[in-house]
This record gives sequence, C-alpha cells and structure tokens, in this order.
Amino acid sequence: MSRNENKVKIMPKAIVCEDCIIQGDVTISSGCVVHPSAQIIAETGPIVIGENCIIEEYAKIHNRIQPESPDKPHILTIGPNNIFEVGSVIEASKIGEKNIFECKSFVSSDVEVSNGCVICAGCHLSGGQHLLENTVIFGKHCQQREALDRISGSHMLQLDFLRKILPNYHHLRKAKQ
Amino acid sequence: MDFLISQNYVNYVCQCGLLKPLTNLYFCRHCLNLRCSFCCHHEVDSHFCRNCLENIPSSEAKLRKNKCNSCFDCPSCSFSVLSARATTIQVPMTVKEKQEGEESSTTTSEASSGKMVAKKMYYLACLACRYSSRDVGISDQASQNFCWPEQEYMHANRFNTILNYYQALVLHDKQVKQDEKRRKTTNKSKFQSMTDRTGLNVSAIRRQMGFDKTVSKPKNKPASILPSMTEEVEELSEDIFTKPINLKNITTIEQRFTQPANQPESVKHLYPQHKNLSIKRSIRCRHCEHNVIKPEYNPTSIKYRIQQFASSHVPEVRIIKCYPLMPNKSAFITLKLTNPTMNDMTITIMELPTDDEEVMMIDEMKKNFESLTVSSKSSLMRPSLIEDPRIVSCKPTAKLELPDSSFVINQRDDSAEFDDEIQTDKKDPKFVIWRKANKIAIELSITPNDLKVNDEVIVGFTMHYTYSTVPSTTAEKKDSQQRHALNARVYLNVGNIVDYSTK
Ligand SMILES: [Zn+2]
Ligand SMILES: [Zn+2]
Ligand SMILES: [Zn+2]
Ligand SMILES: [Zn+2]
Repeated sequence: MSRNENKVKIMPKAIVCEDCIIQGDVTISSGCVVHPSAQIIAETGPIVIGENCIIEEYAKIHNRIQPESPDKPHILTIGPNNIFEVGSVIEASKIGEKNIFECKSFVSSDVEVSNGCVICAGCHLSGGQHLLENTVIFGKHCQQREALDRISGSHMLQLDFLRKILPNYHHLRKAKQ
Repeated sequence: MDFLISQNYVNYVCQCGLLKPLTNLYFCRHCLNLRCSFCCHHEVDSHFCRNCLENIPSSEAKLRKNKCNSCFDCPSCSFSVLSARATTIQVPMTVKEKQEGEESSTTTSEASSGKMVAKKMYYLACLACRYSSRDVGISDQASQNFCWPEQEYMHANRFNTILNYYQALVLHDKQVKQDEKRRKTTNKSKFQSMTDRTGLNVSAIRRQMGFDKTVSKPKNKPASILPSMTEEVEELSEDIFTKPINLKNITTIEQRFTQPANQPESVKHLYPQHKNLSIKRSIRCRHCEHNVIKPEYNPTSIKYRIQQFASSHVPEVRIIKCYPLMPNKSAFITLKLTNPTMNDMTITIMELPTDDEEVMMIDEMKKNFESLTVSSKSSLMRPSLIEDPRIVSCKPTAKLELPDSSFVINQRDDSAEFDDEIQTDKKDPKFVIWRKANKIAIELSITPNDLKVNDEVIVGFTMHYTYSTVPSTTAEKKDSQQRHALNARVYLNVGNIVDYSTK
C-alpha cells in the first residue's frame, strides 16, 4: 500500500485532507478540494481528476474496470469542475466536466458521463449508456430530463469558502509532483 | 414505533360496529363512546397554504380554485416547491431607471459609476430535479412575488361556457320546482290568498294585453350549448411508427395528471403549477354534535383546541408475546395495558356479548337515537346521517380463559416514567406479571378452536373500565368529577396456528 501511496500526485493549490483514503495511481489537479473521509481508489487503473473538483465526505470514486490487456489499464479521466456530493459512489468509465453527482447517487462502471449532467440525490444509474450533455436524472424512478439551462453556473464561491475553512480544521496532504 | 402501531393486531369496536385500531378512533366525552371517522362529521375549518402558511378565507379559496397565489409546485417532479432564485444581470440604464435609482439607495451607488446597472432578476427553480422556469421559456421577473405569467388553458373558454350553462340550468330547475310548488299549493287550497289572486289577475291581464310570452314562459330553458366536436381529425403523420422518439421530451402520465386542465405532452409545456391549498379539519360527533377534534385556527400552529383521541382516554392493549398456538391446546399470551388518563382505572375483563346480546344492544342504541332526534328537532343533525350500527364482522377463533378478578391500573404520572423499579404488589391477583407506573402486564390463557395450520387466531374480550370525567372548566368543583363504568370490545389477532408436525 505504501508503494501505491507514493503514486498519488497532488498538484499545487489542491486541498486534500489527510483523513481521506487515496489508493493507487491517482492524480489530483490543482484547485480540487477533497474532504476528509472521501475515498479515491484506483484499483485496476489510474484515476485523473481535473481542476476545481469538489469531492465531499464519504464520496467514493472507484476505478475497477478490468483492462483488456494488463499493460494497457483503463484510465478513469474526470474533467474539471465536477462536484461529488456526500456519499455518492462513482465507478463511471469516463466523466466530462461540470457534472454534479448528488448525495447517495450511484453510477456504475459501464456508464459514460458527458458534460453538465446532474445525477440527483439517491438515483442509481447502471447499464451501459452514454449520458448526453445536460442530462438530469431525477426522482424515484430515475427519470431523465434535459436541462436547457444550467442552474449552478459555477461553484467557485463554494470552492473559495472551502479553501479558506478546511485548512483551519484539518491536516492537509502536501502537494507532490 | 410506527411498526408497533401501524400493524393492526389489536382492534377496538367502534359503536357503529366497525373494527379499528385505537389510534384511528376518537372518544366523545359527551356520549362517552368510541367514535370512528365514519361516525363523525368532517368539517373544513380553514384553508391555508402549507408552504407560505397564509390563511385564506374559504370564499377567497373558492375564487382562487383552492390554489395559493404565491407558491408553485414543480411540474416536473411534483415533489417539491419551486423556490425563487435570484440572478444579477447587467442592463443598460434608461432614463426612467435613473430616476428610480435616485430614489432607492442600492442602485444609485452602482448606477453612478457607469452606464450599466446590476439588476436582480428572479426565476423559479426546483431544488430536487433542477427544473427551472427558464426551461419552458418563462422570462426572468424583476420581483419575486405575484407577477409570474399565468398559464393560459386551451379549453378555458369552453369550460366557462359549460359552467355558465349548467349554472343557468340549475337556476332554471329551481324556478320550475318553485312554480310547481306554488301551483300545487294553490290547487290544494280552495280559497285563494290575496297575493295569488292578484298575481293571477296580473298574469291574466298581461295575457290579454299580449305580453304573454314574457310571463307564461319564464321557464325558458337556457340556450343549449353545442356539444364539443372536432370536424377534422388530423391524419397521423406517416413517420409516427418509424421516427425514434426522445423520451426526455415527452411528459410522464404523472406529470400530465398534475395539470388536468392542460395535460401537456411535451416537457416544453410544463409550466409552474400553483400549489394546492390544505385544509384544517374539525371533527364532530354525529350523535351529540360536540367537537371531538378542533384544531387551532392559526395555520402556523399544530396544536388542537379540542382533542379527544381515543388513545388518551381508553386503556390501550398491546400484545407483548404469545406462545406457539396449536389447535385445542391452551397457550399463554401476555398483554400490556396502559392507562392514559390522570385517574386510576379499575379493569375487568369479560366475555364478548353473544350474537343475540349484540342485536339487543343495537336495538337499544337505535331507540336511543330516535328519542334523541325527536327531542332535539331544532338541531342541525339529520338522523339519516347517523350510521346504523351493525354486528361486528369479526368472530373470535379461540377461547379466552377470563381472569377471575378485576385489577387496578394506576393513573398516568409523567414523573414516574423515570422510575426503573418494577413494583410488585402483593395484593395483585396471580395473572398480573408486573406493573410499572401506569402500565400493567397480564398473562392469560387461550385455547384456539379446531383450526388448520396457518389459520389466524383471534381472541376477543369486553374490557370493562372505569372512566372519570375531568371537569371541563375550573369553575366546576373537583367533587363534580364523575365516575363512569364503560365498556370497550377488543379483538386481538394473536398470530397463526403453527405447524407442529414438522417440529
Ligand atoms: Zn364508527
Ligand atoms: Zn403559498
Ligand atoms: Zn422538481
Ligand atoms: Zn358525542
């Protein structure tokens, strides 16, 4: 495990709390905020997280897609400006930018998420599919809807707030090249 | 807690003969009887919006079609209330705004700096499904209250004409009936009254003068409306079966049903829906017309002015445990009885009335109603509204060995809740296992009838209890406290017959 720990790359200006679990080849770009007790587990291949993502408490990002050949592992790339809310479990094969995964949502490994999608609280998404841009999954029966207008244009205010507050109460992991 | 109460293993018999769990029953203090919701009048006390808690008079509620003016439900998920969200946009300042800006201090500071002015605009958004009023093309509004564009309904005119027609029809029918009545009364009496005579004269004169039409035909039926029909039904387009559909743009059945006037097919027509109003309901005993439930008028308050829930007047019976049940073999059940009142209760457990006795009870009850209705003619009560009591449909399938003596349950004492000690009174009869504050546990023996495996075992008993009426006003002396001996019939579903052959 210690060998894996070494593979974790945290870019400067990213805020990663010490109490979170990061295993395997994980790259966290600058501007990201990783809350305590979040989990990022690169089991079968590396995970690359884009800039300005928020990964909240008990969120779990898990790459466990079996590669076709052992020397060519599947890389889970996550675009910038995504929010992973409390308790969400994300195993998607690819994630674009500006998506929101609300509390307790689940995305299985054969789902490809494009940009501007919202998986609302408690929705489970499984089965091979490619989510088109601005898709909203909501409700008890996981209805789909297309959002013409993105409500939360930016989460920069929240990011700024977290960057200010989190270091006051938590030990942070040092940025490593 | 919900699990314990919502499973209806213990049912009480309402006076009307229906079986209900204690939590669904009321207790009328004036009749000293259990009342279920069928034995009560339900009245609308007040209308209010449960989102903004505005109290709306019933006449106004009718005008508003029982909807709140200022709150909107999400048309997409119909799960949550839309909330107004603010955005600031930059608008070029006009002369008019300049004048306004000088008046209000907030805009002047920015207005003076440049020609662009920050202006707050509002739109509605659902926090659950991310629906927003922009999705359906409603432009942002400058103020968050009362100015959202009203949705226009395709059939609004049609509905109005139908409504007007039927209102006219009702009026017409009333008139016809009145006329008939008048004619009948005039026919009956040999001697015409003065008014009738003059009335006749006037009409006769009029008829002679040729104003016949207006007088003799006041019963003109309102002009009937055209039935709705569409002359041309559009042909289905050819690609209807071949064109792939995008389910994201089609509304679900639920979404259509939340807008019955419109029933949009496309999500582009999901306009924000005015929130339906809620009511506060008061419940009145049908026999004595006293309130059993009356909520406080204020919508923000969840308290009651009158609350006569049966669970706070009648001893509650719960099953603690029951030994495996086999046909024709006695088994023990442990019951817990709770006294919810502030007075000690003496309880005697007795046999259920036999069928004949039950019929007699019902007859007596009916007689009572009749005497009641005769004596109080002036009251609003109509005897037809009183449900005829019926024989309890449930029949016990096991025999209960009755305890040989009665017992006392102590009054409810809120401070005694914190005592852990289980007091055992030596005076208690043998079947009392323990007692604690206002609770008592008793063990009874039951013998199921000759039943098959998995058959339900039902036991019943009449619980005879003493009930003390609390003086309703402080002016009344404490001595006026009266003790009543009341009965409640209880049916217990103690479980199923077990298959002992496999064990
Ligand atoms: Zn009833
Ligand atoms: Zn309202
Ligand atoms: Zn919604
Ligand atoms: Zn009553």
